[in-house]
Amino acid sequence: MTDRRLAWILLAPALAVLGGLTVYPALWVLWLSLQYRVPVFSISRWAGLEHYAFLAVDTRFWNAAWVTGVFTVCSVALECALGLALALGLRGQYRGRRVALALLLLAWALPSVVTAKMFEWLYHPAGGLVNFLVGGRTINWLGDPDLALPALIAADVWRATPFVTLLCFARLLTIPADLYEAAQVDGAAGLQAFARITWPLVRPILLVALLFRTLDALRAFDIMFVLTGGGPAGATETLTVYAYRALFQTMQMGFGSAIGVVVFAFVMVVAVAYLWVINRQDQTA
Amino acid sequence: MARRPARAVLLVPLLLLALIAGGCGERAGSGAPVTLVFKHAKILGPADPLPGLLRRFEARHPGVRVQSEALTWSSDEQHQFYVINLEGGSPPFDVMMLDVIWVPEFARAGWILDLTPFVPAAERDAHFPTAIEPAVQSGRLWALPWFMNVGLLYYRRDLLAKYGFTPPETYEALAAQVRRIRAGEGDPRLDGYLWQGKQYEGGMVNVLEALWANGARLLDEVGRPFPDRERARESLAFLRGLIESGVSPAWVTAADEELTRRPFGDGRAIFLRNWPYALDLFELPDSRVRGKVGVAPLPRLRHGPVGAASTGGAHLAVSARTRHQALAVDLARFLTSKAAQRAMTEGAALRPSRPSLYQDAALVARDPSLPALLGLMEKGHPRPITPYYLMLSTTLQPEFSAVLVGRKSPDRAIRDGTAQVEHLLRAITP
Repeated sequence: MTDRRLAWILLAPALAVLGGLTVYPALWVLWLSLQYRVPVFSISRWAGLEHYAFLAVDTRFWNAAWVTGVFTVCSVALECALGLALALGLRGQYRGRRVALALLLLAWALPSVVTAKMFEWLYHPAGGLVNFLVGGRTINWLGDPDLALPALIAADVWRATPFVTLLCFARLLTIPADLYEAAQVDGAAGLQAFARITWPLVRPILLVALLFRTLDALRAFDIMFVLTGGGPAGATETLTVYAYRALFQTMQMGFGSAIGVVVFAFVMVVAVAYLWVINRQDQTA
Repeated sequence: MARRPARAVLLVPLLLLALIAGGCGERAGSGAPVTLVFKHAKILGPADPLPGLLRRFEARHPGVRVQSEALTWSSDEQHQFYVINLEGGSPPFDVMMLDVIWVPEFARAGWILDLTPFVPAAERDAHFPTAIEPAVQSGRLWALPWFMNVGLLYYRRDLLAKYGFTPPETYEALAAQVRRIRAGEGDPRLDGYLWQGKQYEGGMVNVLEALWANGARLLDEVGRPFPDRERARESLAFLRGLIESGVSPAWVTAADEELTRRPFGDGRAIFLRNWPYALDLFELPDSRVRGKVGVAPLPRLRHGPVGAASTGGAHLAVSARTRHQALAVDLARFLTSKAAQRAMTEGAALRPSRPSLYQDAALVARDPSLPALLGLMEKGHPRPITPYYLMLSTTLQPEFSAVLVGRKSPDRAIRDGTAQVEHLLRAITP
């Protein structure tokens, strides 16, 4: 019992910091989202659930939710698949491995705003590198509502795949070589060895990568804000971009907070779901 | 658990922090040195004249130090910085540089000082009316113009001369010239007319200019959207038509100022809509179009005037909470004075808001385009002068963008836009 109390006392500072940094702001935004708050027009009155009622029928909101979902699912799936493939490829390479890793790290380390600016020029229809590579056509990557979101997903994949690669690669390095040798003796090679040895050992770390990337993608902001501003025709407006516009451009603090609360709820649901899966795996493993 | 809360979540405590942190600053006791803080965007251009100007101000006011602090480069982030700090009570700055479209909003919010009592009529009249008007709300003056911008039509003098054309006065003529020149040149890489159609404030500016070019307005006197529906519809249809007919490349729907300036500067376009800054870059020694570029007023559509271009630029305002009101106003007046604007024009290649400087012999010798710009600045249109301009712009941008990419008919975009603007106005009228 006293041990227990001591544990709580020792945990208290960390809990206080966590509470102050996450729980308190979340509650504050929740509180704001129940009001009409437009500072410029000195408006501050109770709204109850009216913002949420409006969101339910707001086509711009549903479009943003759809865009957020598509962006998250596509970019994360591609990043994890490519990241694992690259890690496997790197494992077999001894020469140039360091250089490759350094280059990968560079892509991951660049601030996303810088990456976005860089892609703005790469995608430029007249003289951008991307169009040059596809044979000198003038494809309107960022100005066509059907192509803009795939173009953003590609940019995000370029930026974030290295993160998955590094995590998987680190895990692969710790798999003892004699496991594979034993497998070869038993007549299991290639795909079978991958399915029986590599995959089960990499899977937990891939799940962690998946979790981090999903949460990041759900809150992605810089790439669409810089490259397309949410356009054309709102085709790349994610929930975070919509929330930003409501909060800081139309200054509707209450309404913007309501969008923020929805994003927060999404993130929480996804995070809890992942953690549940990971925990279950730990118990069965 | 997420590693950091979502962006929106993060920003709210910042607002709160600003509330708590408000009210720490130095007191100007008797004889104690006073520090004025001046927030502004980074001044680009060949030689930044600002430090010299501030030293001059300090020399005139012994015991006063001016601390100049640069903001981030993007206009959205600057606006966000101001909103967070001003909303929170005592902002950590006295004088601030504002985009002209924010002035009414900040005035309405009570964040900036009413300058009417400090600025004599003569000083006010020394600026372009088109620069003063946007800084006036309910008959009071809230900011002083620092420098000025206006939309221009850039054209390739050499190409137009080769085919015997003069700069087009109507968009029909522009389209005809583009077709003729492109047929004659036979260069598939030569684009016709470049402008900014991305979903952002600059795209809004281009749409407004198309409305004005057809004698349409975005708001009427009492703030109702699209009073001249038929003309507005024609304007939007015209912009979409530019793309459909190939006069403008399809990629203008994702283009901002820089993305259009570069191809034109590489000699890959005949016409370009842009701000005056591009001219300096076209005349650089290593520019491919050096000496081949002319500027003209923006053309018109059927019902509108020539040169109905949007004005833009920066104003200086004083924080309503400053502890050194008189000094801060002095600084704003000094930086917008004729001498200071001359220094800014020479050093930073910015265009002044005072007509008298456009005929200043020394300045004209350095920049021969000034006299031509004078008439354009006088004729320019300010964007709608209202505290909710940003709301309006942010709400309508996706609608206009949808027209430009062919997702919505002009009619439907006007209908949907009207409905959304009306919803917005209902929320802000108590």
